[in-house]
Amino acid sequence: MTPLVRFERATLGYGRRKVLSDISFEIPSGDFLGLVGPNGAGKTTILRNILGSLAPLGGTVAVQPGLRFGYVPQRETVDSVYPLKVVDVVMMGRYDRIGLGRRPGADDRNRAMQALEHVGIPHLAHRQLSALSGGQKQRSLIARALVGEPTVLVLDEPTEGMDLVATTQILGLVRELHDQDSLTVLMVSHALNEVANYVKRIALVLEGGFRIGTVDDIMNEATLTKMYGIPVDVERVNGHRIVVAGGTTLQGRHDHA
Amino acid sequence: MLETLSVFREALYGALVIGIACSVLGVYVVLKRIVFVGAALAQLSSAGIALALFLGGLGVSGQLAHHPVAMSLLVTLAGAMFFGLGAGAKSGVPPDATIGVTYAAAAAAGILLIAKATSGEAHDIFLQGNILGITRADTLVLLAVTVPVLLIHFVFYKEFLFVSFDRETARTLGYRVTAWNLALYFTLGLVIAFAMQFAGVMLVFNFLVLPAVTGLLLARSMGGIFAVAITSGILASVIGFALSIPYDLPSGPAIIACSSLMALIAWCARRLQSR
Repeated sequence: MTPLVRFERATLGYGRRKVLSDISFEIPSGDFLGLVGPNGAGKTTILRNILGSLAPLGGTVAVQPGLRFGYVPQRETVDSVYPLKVVDVVMMGRYDRIGLGRRPGADDRNRAMQALEHVGIPHLAHRQLSALSGGQKQRSLIARALVGEPTVLVLDEPTEGMDLVATTQILGLVRELHDQDSLTVLMVSHALNEVANYVKRIALVLEGGFRIGTVDDIMNEATLTKMYGIPVDVERVNGHRIVVAGGTTLQGRHDHA
Repeated sequence: MLETLSVFREALYGALVIGIACSVLGVYVVLKRIVFVGAALAQLSSAGIALALFLGGLGVSGQLAHHPVAMSLLVTLAGAMFFGLGAGAKSGVPPDATIGVTYAAAAAAGILLIAKATSGEAHDIFLQGNILGITRADTLVLLAVTVPVLLIHFVFYKEFLFVSFDRETARTLGYRVTAWNLALYFTLGLVIAFAMQFAGVMLVFNFLVLPAVTGLLLARSMGGIFAVAITSGILASVIGFALSIPYDLPSGPAIIACSSLMALIAWCARRLQSR
């Protein structure tokens, strides 16, 4: 089966500045991939190459023809000064389908409402986007990505700045969309502990380094210690894997607290 | 008041055309947080006029030296393209600093060039604007420029809005974001270059910012912002005009004072509403 996205010995960067070299991996249909790493490591560079807004400096980045991305940007990049209702923002996900110079119709509005129902916030359709909480705003942006009927849902730091409850709800929703709708999902995040318990595979991007594999391949002490360059423990709490630095156990941390 | 208005109706019509066009484009200027691009473009426009007068005074031959409007248009559109392409952000200088540098340099160049232009004194009013001097022919020229611009913005409202609101998502959906951004700046530059000839830097800047701010304070939808901004631009023009003539006040600043008062009332209304 042809992968949806394929990186083949790709060198990525901006102008003459290389950020990542010799990157090779594929995103097959039905994947749920977490692209994880600290700020500045190159996650956004990889993402921009996938979305086509940046070309590789070398090698190949191939995207299956006709592939449609449902992009969920970082919340803070969506400007809250615009007085837009949630349903109007969601309809933007269909703008390219509506066509140049044409206005959204009843069908577009109905689809926007269905997308809002799908993410559990139909009652917020006529509220101002700027008046919503972080979690509600994120659901609205996910609805906008879904309304365009994407092949791949791409989320950029979807839980940034959220509390534990909102984070769990948003990641649960994304997991649900992947499981129920068989949607291919690419989730970019700096929080390994959050992402690791929801995704199927992890691509770990650390300064100049890149490693991709299943959650089991990545979330083990040997791999993470090698990648981070410091001793790393992987603990299990209620079936969830938690990465702890410096050989300190969760119990030990708890005792010290 | 009506009698006063009827005497200067041609000038009022011109002011209304400028006011409406700038108020509409001003909504994007305010929402995109590029208000000083409007000021810098207006200043570039005046520098273009000064350059044409200066070159004409030196006896430099050529079409542009004899047509201040054409020179103004050329300089303003070059500035619009520069800002539309990111104002040299890749050089490491923050875009707002580049806007400030452009504003200061264009203002100084305009003053220096006009000071050394042989017909400088006669044309000084050209830089300051002379809203009362607008004739029917001028209004027709303004209409010929602003009506197509407003039509473009009406037809492609959805595209301009999307690209302004969330350019990254628009890009992923295949929108040519840079081209749409350039189109916005180009239409802005076009309107500013022509409006500047009659209204001057200060009044054009007012029309680009204050009506849209009033709209943003009072309205709860994009349509509402446009409606309030246009209404505010019209009201400020009519009231400012009507008061400036019997009280012997300069019309431009009178219109700006009315716009400011409306923005202040809108701000108070918003504060009261949010309590």
